[in-house]
Parts: sequence; C-alpha cells; structure tokens
Amino acid sequence: MNALWAHLGVSLRLHFRNKMALLYGYLFPLIFLVAFWVLYRHEKIPLLRHMGELLTVAVLGGACFGLPTTLVGERERGVWRRYRLSPVPTWVFVTSTVLVRYLIILSAGLVQLGAALAIGMTVPAHPLDLWLAFTLVSLAFIGLGLVIATLADNVPAVQALGQCIFLPMLIIGGVAVQLASLPLWAQHVSAFFPGRYAVEALQGCVSGRGFGGVRFSLLALGLVGVAGCLAGAKLFRWDAQQRFAMRSGKLWLIPALAAWAAVGLLAEWRGRIAIAVDAEPPPPKAPALAVPPAPPLPLVIPRDATPPSASPVLPAPAVVSPLVPMPVVAKPALLPLEPVWAKITAKDTAELDYNVPPDHGIVSPMSAPDEEAEDFMKDQVQSVRSKIASWPPGTDGDDLRCIRNLLYVAAVPDAIQMPVERYLPRVVYQHLLDTYPKDKLTKVLTYIVLHPEEGMVVDDISDLGVEGTAGDPLVVRERAYLYAIKFIARLTGRVKE
Amino acid sequence: MPAKVIVQNLHKRYDDFEAVRGVSFAIEEGEIFGLLGPNGAGKTTTVECLIGLREPDSGELEVCGLDARRYPRAVKEKIGVALQSTSLQDKITPREALRLFGSFYSRREEPAVLLERFALVEKADAALDTLSGGQRQRLALALAFVNRPELVFLDEPTTGLDPQARRELHGAIAEMKAAGCTVLFTTHYLDEAEALCDRVAIIDQGRMVATGSPRELMARAAVWPTVTLATSRAVARERWASVVGVSDLWMDASGLTVQFRTEQATATLVGVVALLSASGVDLVDLEVKKASLEDVFLNLTRTRATAAKPARVVGEEGHA
Repeated sequence: MNALWAHLGVSLRLHFRNKMALLYGYLFPLIFLVAFWVLYRHEKIPLLRHMGELLTVAVLGGACFGLPTTLVGERERGVWRRYRLSPVPTWVFVTSTVLVRYLIILSAGLVQLGAALAIGMTVPAHPLDLWLAFTLVSLAFIGLGLVIATLADNVPAVQALGQCIFLPMLIIGGVAVQLASLPLWAQHVSAFFPGRYAVEALQGCVSGRGFGGVRFSLLALGLVGVAGCLAGAKLFRWDAQQRFAMRSGKLWLIPALAAWAAVGLLAEWRGRIAIAVDAEPPPPKAPALAVPPAPPLPLVIPRDATPPSASPVLPAPAVVSPLVPMPVVAKPALLPLEPVWAKITAKDTAELDYNVPPDHGIVSPMSAPDEEAEDFMKDQVQSVRSKIASWPPGTDGDDLRCIRNLLYVAAVPDAIQMPVERYLPRVVYQHLLDTYPKDKLTKVLTYIVLHPEEGMVVDDISDLGVEGTAGDPLVVRERAYLYAIKFIARLTGRVKE
Repeated sequence: MPAKVIVQNLHKRYDDFEAVRGVSFAIEEGEIFGLLGPNGAGKTTTVECLIGLREPDSGELEVCGLDARRYPRAVKEKIGVALQSTSLQDKITPREALRLFGSFYSRREEPAVLLERFALVEKADAALDTLSGGQRQRLALALAFVNRPELVFLDEPTTGLDPQARRELHGAIAEMKAAGCTVLFTTHYLDEAEALCDRVAIIDQGRMVATGSPRELMARAAVWPTVTLATSRAVARERWASVVGVSDLWMDASGLTVQFRTEQATATLVGVVALLSASGVDLVDLEVKKASLEDVFLNLTRTRATAAKPARVVGEEGHA
C-alpha cells in the first residue's frame, strides 16, 4: 500500500504543478458556468437546473481528456516503462491512477459548485446523494478514459478519440442539449451514452428526489464504469512500443462496449427512452428555508372548505396542456387541516431574496400601475381582466392552488415573450389584491416562493383570450416564482407604488 | 563464487525476426560484466528478458538464485536497473523520485544517502527539467540503487552524454566495482567496456560470439598492433608492402599517411626506418597502437571500420 499512496501523492503534486492541466481542469469548466451566469444572472433556478450538465462536462473533460492525455504522455516518455521495472503489481498503479483522477475531478466539481453557489445558485437538494452520484459518474468516465488511453498510441490520438466520444455525447447524448428538445431517434441513441445517465443522476440529486429518482441512471453508470475500468486495467500498456494493433487480449474491449450496449438495451426494454417535456427534475427548494417542507397530504381540500385549507401536494410536477380538469377531488373532504402556508411567518417573508430582474427588463417585466397598454394589446388585456375572476383554475380549489395558477397568467406570456407580457402581471396583481386579504396573500405567495416545485403548471391561458403555449414548464415555474417575489415586494412595501 | 545471473539457451523472436538465438552466459557475484554488440545484435532484448520487460520464447534465466521467468516480481525486488533513457515526469524532483521509487520496494535506501552518493544534493529539490543530462543520468543510477540491489543492470548508461558526464559516470561505476557490486553493463563504447568490465560477452546477430576478460579476448583474437605514420614525401605503395611484417596496408590519397598492421612490430619498425633513410624521406609522425577490444569486436563481428576512425565502433553516433 506504500506504493499506492506514494504514487498517489506524487501524481497529485505533479498535477498541481502543471499549469496547463490546472487551466484545463479548473478554468475550462468555469467558463461554462460564467457563460451561464451572464445569460441568467438574475435567475437562480436555471443555474440549478443545469448543474447536472455543467458537472457532467467537467467530469467528461477531466476523465476523457485529462486522464488519457496524462497517461499516454507519460507512457510515451517512458515513465511507465520505468515503473514496470518495479515489483509493484499493475493493479496498484491503475488504482492509484483512478483515485488521483477522481480526486482531481472531485476538486474541479467542488470549485464549480462553489462558484455556482457564490453567484447565487441555491444549495443542491441532496448534497450527500450528489457526492455519491458524482463518484459514480466519475467512475464511469474514468473507465472510459482508461479505455481511451489503451486505444491511443500517442497524445494526438487521445485528442482524436476523446473528441469522437465527447462531441456526440454533448450534442445527442443529452449532456449539452436537453433530451426533451432532441428528436426521438436521438433520444434512442442517447440511451446508449453514459452522458445521459450522468446528467440525470447529478441533476436528480441537485434538484430532484435524490437517489430515489435516479436508480436506473446510477446502475447504468456503475455498470459502464466497472466495465471500463476492468478493460482499461486488463489492456493496460506500460510501453509506447506496445502498439495497440499488435496487442494481444483485445477481447477485453468487449466488456466495455457491451456495458454501453446493455445499458441502452435495458433502457429500451424498460421504456426509458422518450423524454416528455415535463419529465425534467423540478426546480429546487429556494434558499433560507425557514419553514419545514410541507407534510404530504394525501387529498385535496376543496376551496370552499377554507378556512383553514390545505394545498395539494403532488408527487411530481406535471404539465396541464391544454388546461384540463384538476386531479380528482376526493369526496367527502377530509377534516379541515391547517393550510401549509399558515405557518409562514413575517421573518420568512423578510428573508426572501428580493434581488429579481427589474420591471422594465426582458425577464419578468411588469408595467407601472398607471401604464396603459398599447392599442393593439388593449383587447387582450381587457379580455383577461374581465375573465380572470371566473377563470376556473383561479377559482376552483384551495387558495394556494388558485393563487399559484393566477401567477401563471403572468408567467406564461413572459415565458414566451408575448407583447402583452408586461401588462398582464399588473392585471393579476390587482385581481389578487381584490380577492385576498393582504396578509393571507403575502403568506401564500411566500410559501410559493419557498416551494416553487410544488403544484401543477398551467402553460396555456387561451381561455382568457391570450393564445400561445409555453413549451418549457420549468421556465413558467421560474417566472411565476419571480412574479411572486415582485408581488410580495409590493405587498410588504419594499416596492412603493 | 555463486553466479548471480545464469542465462541458458535464451531465444526471443519478434514476428519473423529472431532477435536472440540461443544466448548463454553467466555472471559471477561481484563482477562487472559487459554485454557488447552492434545495434540489433540482441543485447537489449537479452537484458529486457532478464529484467522482466519481455517474456522470452524459451531458455532458462536465473537471477539472484531465482527463476526469473517464474518469479519476476521477486527478481525485481533484488535488482536495480538504469535504462538507457530513464524518463520521469518533467516536474518531479530527485528527492521525490527517490522517495517514490523507494516505496515500491520492501527494502530501501534513504533518499538522502543516494543524493549524497550520486552528487545530487544541490539539485535534490529541483524539477527534473532543470537538470543537466549528466545529472539526470546520475539520478537514473541512484534510482537503480534505491532498493539496495544485489545486482544492477546498466543499459547503455553513457549513451548521449558529453565527455564530462561520461567521465562522472565511469567514476560512479568504478565505485560500484570497489563496493563489490555485481553489474551487467551494455554499451556501444568499447573503450569504456575495456576499462570498466571484468568480463565481456560479444553478441552478434542474436548469437554469443565470444566471452571472457578483455585481455583474454584480445589475446585469443590474435589481433596485431596498428602502425600509423606520416612522411614528408610520398613513398610508393609497393615499397611499403615490401617491409618485413606489413599487412593490411592503407594509404591516404596524398600518400603521405600510411597505416598497416604488423605481427613483428620491432622488425617492421627497423625496416621502415631503413626504407625512409634510403628514400631520403623524413618521418613526420609515428604511432604504434596495440590491439584493442574494438579490434577484437570488429574482427569477431566482421564489421568493417575505416582506419581513419580508430576510436569509433559500430553504432556510435559521433561520440569520441
């Protein structure tokens, strides 16, 4: 074991002395993050929603380029030939190499996560699960890196092979382009790439249900990783003179390839290929959770049961498109329970982050109280104003659901950038003021901000005379979240009007 | 003394090329043994089979009393190796390298001792890419001693070094000899083999062609001394050829420089003086060089070398 730890220690020290490796390993992944921040600096949820992809890119770079480049470079120099003269068995060096790379990738991931938190991302939902998922993702890609190092006779070959895997994984493998926006054939192909499972596993732990929701992805990553490491260890090449073409034992590549195929076929068999637009993990809980998560209530309390009332707690977000009847309301109603938002305190409201985009910006715009809509939009605004009081999603059900649905009337036009987007929030806000007491409205809105993932998304408000459907339900949720904060700011006097 | 290395009927083939064809030799404890041969002769393959870098096709290899084919790991515990080019990572320091390689063995020497012994103390914490060629090669030697080996393999350790660095390494090897180390040493430089080795083996085309001490080989090969002289005016070739004992006569284009071998050096030199006096030609320069290991080597490997390059051997790349 002395050899393992000594080799691990020296390899780590040498890594941190290599400026190019540091640049590539730490700065390169941060560039993605910074680009993302520049695009969405006012919104916290999108960054969290993409951490799975960002972390996957960091692992991919470190494992599929960093590892084989170092390994093949040292092999070309004769370093490994010299190691081979020692009595240390191969597995010690392979284990040390894998561990070193894992630690390097982990540190890069932590830097990326730390930077994301620093620029305002909310804390991942399941940190421990995230670490374990990250470990499995690293294992999968390190195995792949070992196989690349085996196949490549020199460093340029590493770059070529790495790109052959990296780019398809980014484009049609579900890493850089969301699966939901890919054609079905690409979704089928992506099932054979570990990148898809990496994103699913990491994202599930960042903003989803943790391990519980990503078991298949974790299994797939483990299988791919073990097979890759096994093939990489069995085909390990000490000497640059051992060309791969002349190498015996090439059959050990079969387990590595078979693992990819098996995972894809298993996904096909279990019907895990097609990705519905609503199947993405929900947005996270907002920061500064002053109230405990709502207890799961099995049934919906009708609105007329208030006060007090309870909110439906749905197992997973779903899109209602076009607007369809809400889930079946149980009858008879349960005994009246205290609504989940009732525990919201003034302190919870005060601790919200009010740093939201300005009213005159592109994201979540809102007209001034006395601002008139332009002529060509006046009919739409008037239509909404006249119908909103009787709009079923805004009237049927408990207060929490109704208020959340009403927020979507402001959020949907904003999500799809309709011309009327800045005027409808004002209509909604006024309607809320007219319908609910200020104190209650503040509490409910605060609860929504703290639990943006709950409830169903309304992405179509054509019943109100505004045609258009928002494609991404998560964007609609984000905008509803932002409008909720803006409304609270007005209700509590933080914004004077 | 017990043999530290016994090689019997070693064979190794690469596809259609048989690199080693039945090589056999033994190295006694405390001996510095030179393995000589032109490029492609099979000496590196032989060494690589012994140190576990290659699997022989057939033959018996015993190293430090162990069957090297059955117990390669145990053999590696007992031997030290300095390859022709020991490459390490650019940013590793000699101290780190010695500590790292020391961790590979159950028995190890302290890095500080090796740094002192191989004159690397000043560079102990300097990155490898700041070390000179000689310092790197001394580090390679230090790494070979990191496990206090019973037997050291030095594979062309002086190739590519400048004369100063070569001289430093010769000193280090001489110290090993004084300390009673057993060393297997391959080299292109026959002069250093002659100076450093107790015994040598010459391999050509995968076969062992001679074994013995340099002196024994020179005596056995019956290679005669070489006479080289320069005159003030040219003398006809046939007149030189008529001098007693002259053979293998060679003259340069001007006829002013003459070289030949002689079996009877004294009688031949008397004849040369008589010839020059009779011709009225002055002797400008005269050199009588005894037979060297190089002569034996060339004789045995049937490789032609020009007399104008008396210090060169096959495979050398411009080093004096």
